[in-house]
Amino acid sequence: MFALIKLIQSLVGALHSEGTPGQLAAGIVLGSFLGLTPLFNLHNAVIFALLVLLNVSFAGGLLGWALFVPAGFLLDPLFDWIGRSLLLAPSLRGLWTSLYNTPIVPLTNFTNTVVLGSLVFALLFAVPLFFVLRWAVARYRVTIGERVRQSKFYRAVTASKVYNVYKLFRP
Amino acid sequence: MSRLKIFRWRAIGPLLALFVIAAVLWWLFADTIARHESQQIGTQLLGARVEIEHLHLDIANGKVLVRGLTIASPHEAFKNLLQADELVADLDVVPLTEKKLIINRIAANGLRFGTPRQTDGRVAAKSGEGIAGRVLAETREWASQFQIPVLQLATGKISIDSLDPRRLSTIPAADALGARADSSRRAWQAAFDTLRLGPTLDSASATLERLRHARATDLAALNEARQAIGRLKRARDRLTTLDRGVKIGISQLQAGLASLDSARQRDYSFARSLLKLPSLDAPEIGAALFAPAAIKPFERVLYYAQLARRYMPPGLLPRATTGPSRMRRAGEDVRFPKEHALPAFLVRSAELSFLPQRYAGRLTGLTSDPALYGRPTVFGATGPQLVAGAMLNHVRAIPVDTAGATVGGIALPPFEIPGVPLRLDPGAATAQLGFALNGDTIHARFAIRSTNVRWTRDSGFANSTIGDLIWRTVSGISNLDVEARLSGALHHPDLAVRSNLDQAIASRLRSVLGEQVAAAEQQVRDRVDALINDKVGLVRARVNEVQTQAQAQVAQQRARLDELQQQLERIRLP
Repeated sequence: MFALIKLIQSLVGALHSEGTPGQLAAGIVLGSFLGLTPLFNLHNAVIFALLVLLNVSFAGGLLGWALFVPAGFLLDPLFDWIGRSLLLAPSLRGLWTSLYNTPIVPLTNFTNTVVLGSLVFALLFAVPLFFVLRWAVARYRVTIGERVRQSKFYRAVTASKVYNVYKLFRP
Repeated sequence: MSRLKIFRWRAIGPLLALFVIAAVLWWLFADTIARHESQQIGTQLLGARVEIEHLHLDIANGKVLVRGLTIASPHEAFKNLLQADELVADLDVVPLTEKKLIINRIAANGLRFGTPRQTDGRVAAKSGEGIAGRVLAETREWASQFQIPVLQLATGKISIDSLDPRRLSTIPAADALGARADSSRRAWQAAFDTLRLGPTLDSASATLERLRHARATDLAALNEARQAIGRLKRARDRLTTLDRGVKIGISQLQAGLASLDSARQRDYSFARSLLKLPSLDAPEIGAALFAPAAIKPFERVLYYAQLARRYMPPGLLPRATTGPSRMRRAGEDVRFPKEHALPAFLVRSAELSFLPQRYAGRLTGLTSDPALYGRPTVFGATGPQLVAGAMLNHVRAIPVDTAGATVGGIALPPFEIPGVPLRLDPGAATAQLGFALNGDTIHARFAIRSTNVRWTRDSGFANSTIGDLIWRTVSGISNLDVEARLSGALHHPDLAVRSNLDQAIASRLRSVLGEQVAAAEQQVRDRVDALINDKVGLVRARVNEVQTQAQAQVAQQRARLDELQQQLERIRLP
């Protein structure tokens, strides 16, 4: 229940933040990497650092993470297939062999079929997701955004303590 | 309009703080995490629970200390494969950045084998998942292929199951032979008809009659006689050809009759197989008594050999293993070995010290990529009454795995003799194991020798004559010498088991049960005869009739031809 409330707070907070639609979309895209790929991997530390350091919506990142975790679980068979196809492709064997025998790179677990498959999927998915989200957020703000801002629901959400914490990281 | 900033500089502080917290947490919990991961990976690799009481990482000095290592047996529920008091490993730190674990030396102290445990430590046997699960399932299936004769000595009853006439081979064979006899008869009759001997004989008779009244200078009559003789000769040639065919046909029918006798013997054997007889052949008794116990060591060694082949494959092709267990799908980890690079895992050398401390061993070259390391994995252990060695040579395309061990003075666990309520306690015995798996060809030998075996009799034996007999036979035997040999293609090897008890039990059984068995066998033969005799008798009579008829017909026609020819030739032709 708490997670759901947090998700709603994130969603509402992000949609009505001062950030641009592009910042919010970029945050969600970075969050989608955390959700789609297995979490405890080196590349996600980089993604998290980017989410914190880049001037993108951190709440959007949390929202993207929360939204794409179930998608990650559901799409695991697809990721497994993509990763296996790529790792076992004879034409790419030289590339993988070089990377596998390069310091640090193997620590990213790129040789795992699910990790590689999900990362490749997330990378390909990122560009269309960014543009679709940027357009959707902009449309939301010019259509029903102001009415939501005036609603009791919005005031209740933004009044909570969690929202105060969130404000520390708003763009 | 203000320019959009790309970086959130004020977040650097919290991020650094986060990394510092992560580093502190790592420093605090690295040992716990490493211990947990080692347990998880070890469990996954071996298919049995791996437990570590304490693990300390000293990355700066490249040392790992493990205390209280317990590896459960993948095969036995409440038994450990091994326990070690302490392991100290010297690592190469730099290869860790390539996720490669290179251990220069391990010192393992206080190794113990086969110790009991409180909980079931089997993992692969229960889940069947992962490489270990698959290998375990394969080796179990492999072990189950051996047909071990069941020794039904507990009651000694001889009973006969119902005999289904449809399963007897003589009856369809007799039907087929009868049909062949009929078709032969028809074929030969048709052949006789096409010979058209009647007109030839009639014409020759008429010629003979005319010659008797003809003048000696009647050239036309003489010419006619020559032609008649020629026709008779040709007719006889045709008859000879037909006779040859008839003889061949008759011999085939006779062979058919002989095959009916063979089919009858097969039916006797089949009917005998329905008899629930105690086995009386010595080799079968040996297999029935000891094969189940003898197959187990082979199965276990094969499990480890096959596991080694999966984790230490020859060659440099990419190879996939099950990925780490996590909430998300594990997937597969693919390794890409490269020439002149380090293998993903290597133990260069391990010094092993067993309990009691007089035993010691050494392991070298344990690696995930034998082709990169270039040398086989070698293990050796020695001690009082112990010699053991193993070599896993996966350097070349065809892997060769060999192992041998002789262990003396070990207390082997007592075991039930299958099919007989007898329990055998081998006591302090000497066990020998030899194992060679060259590609897909296996040669293995397992032997147990003991001079102080003890037999325990189950109460189920109380009212059994045969049971008494077996008990009297074996209870006086204190020596045990069992040998099991396995050889041939791995997927279907031959198993031979012999023991010093085989001959003793077989001869006793034969002397007591011989008459009963003979009577029962006669009974089943009578049943078979009752079912097939009528049919076989009819077919035999039909074949004989066809044979007699054909031979008589040929003989009769030949006699007439010969007679007429002789008469014609007796008249002197110029």
